[in-house]
Amino acid sequence: MLIFEPHIHMFSRITDDYEKLSFAGVRAVLEPAFWLGQSRTSVGSFVDYFETLIGWERHRAQQFGIHHFCTMGLNPREANDDRVNQAVLDILPRYCEKDSCVGVGEIGLDDQTKTEEKFMAEQLELARRHDLPVLVHTPHRDKKKGFERCIDIVREQNFPMERVLLDHGNEETIKITRDLGCWSGFSIYPNTKMSPQRMVAIVQEYGIERFVINSAADWGVSDPMMVPRTVVKLEQAGVPRERVEQLVWKNPIRFFGQSGRLDEAMLAKPATANLRETFEGNSVLRGQDPDKL
Amino acid sequence: MAARYGGRPMATTLPPELLGPAEPLARDAIAELRADRSRLPVVFPGLPRKAGREPVGGGCQAIGDARVDLDAFRRCDLVAAWLLQEIAVTHDEAVDLFLHGDIEERAMLLRAANFLPLGDTTARLLGEVLRTNVVLHMEAALCDGDLLARAAAHGTIDAETANRLLLKFAFLDLPLERALAAERLASVELSTMLQDLATEREAAGRAVWRDTWQMVGRAPCPGAIARLIGGLEHGDDGVRLSAAKGLLALPDRTAGLAAEVARYAGERLPREPRPVIRELLQRLAQPA
Repeated sequence: MLIFEPHIHMFSRITDDYEKLSFAGVRAVLEPAFWLGQSRTSVGSFVDYFETLIGWERHRAQQFGIHHFCTMGLNPREANDDRVNQAVLDILPRYCEKDSCVGVGEIGLDDQTKTEEKFMAEQLELARRHDLPVLVHTPHRDKKKGFERCIDIVREQNFPMERVLLDHGNEETIKITRDLGCWSGFSIYPNTKMSPQRMVAIVQEYGIERFVINSAADWGVSDPMMVPRTVVKLEQAGVPRERVEQLVWKNPIRFFGQSGRLDEAMLAKPATANLRETFEGNSVLRGQDPDKL
Repeated sequence: MAARYGGRPMATTLPPELLGPAEPLARDAIAELRADRSRLPVVFPGLPRKAGREPVGGGCQAIGDARVDLDAFRRCDLVAAWLLQEIAVTHDEAVDLFLHGDIEERAMLLRAANFLPLGDTTARLLGEVLRTNVVLHMEAALCDGDLLARAAAHGTIDAETANRLLLKFAFLDLPLERALAAERLASVELSTMLQDLATEREAAGRAVWRDTWQMVGRAPCPGAIARLIGGLEHGDDGVRLSAAKGLLALPDRTAGLAAEVARYAGERLPREPRPVIRELLQRLAQPA
């Protein structure tokens, strides 16, 4: 079964993860721009990061046949940092037009401050100008209130709900979002947040319409294989294969396809893999013979 | 005030009819940039998906001062070239587009550079190609047009830079037949560099750039003749072909050298299985 992993921070993962993902059927990944675990002190660090997302990471993914897409944005945590917030917003238009950028994100709320709200609203407008959907990070603390506030901001900006993916959802947030017309993302984690078993229960109760699942794997304790693992659990629980396929392949393509920069036909074949290719003279091989890999 | 592109007036040699159905889009983009040229970094990345990536087609053609391979050029490359011409892109703007562009944008800019005046910007872009070592960019700069040959002839880049670019071209194992007008850049210095690379590769048991023989034949350095004659007996068809071409390209074959070459070509001829190589050997075997 082909898988589109719609939220994974490969910037923080090792090359072996790409190989494992590829073997597990992951044909495409979506890497949202995010918080690196430590505050950046100047806009230049964002420029370099954004250019890694459209450069080296795409190259690295392609070496394993994986198509790499990204969303660009100012994450909510650093939206609170006046050293960088406005300057990042100023440079984002250029990166929103990059071909592999299929959305604006992660935007949203974290501490739920007024400054976060301001930059979330401004980035909804940015998404509208660039005709892109948005990936919304929702708070890990006081989640229900944060979800409701995110939805309020989307409404206040009159941004189309069908172009909004509210991520890091759980059983509680479904009750809020189910009838809004927006999309819901569930981040499956090894120990915290959503587990594969809980996800199976959600699918059995609520179905799969406008749902996506992801690993949100990053520099923390996380597992990039959580989507393939959940696929197994769903099939074992008797969820029909075509339903599972819609959840992990067709749904993310449908959501991010709203950018006009991505469709299923583009992903019909694996990304061109040529282990002899270099990116700015750099290769993933570390001197190894490509014919022996 | 921002520096003008290469310090020279813009060329206007790209016929807009080549843009085909993308011409209205190009005109809109130009109007947008004339109204606010700070939008260039936002407009430029979207050109491939908006103008189209299909090849223009039509093979190698002379357009203005440039010779370009329109089978390699895509519609968006021509739109980019026309747009940059029309807004008289500055050096700073062009370099910014390259440095912050993705792989495809950079290739598009390098192809467009064929239609922009030679100057400091050309030199900077070719310098970036040399530094960054990306195959697509090497092809865009050296194969999809004759930019390198013209830049070298014009003095935009010095001989050492041109040699280093061609050496990297060989290092990446790209085919010489695609490097437009590269034969004009043959020199003893380049041949020495290529031969040294070949020797290093041979010592390491690695494959040698097949076109080494063909290129060194145009401007032989010490040791080149022996390499060329030896190449006639190489087990690789491509090397034998390249060696035969190199021997035919020797700039001044004295009577003695011609006789020597004819002798080895004649020896090889009855055992050569490839018709295309046999044909070249027949020419070499006739010293007159």
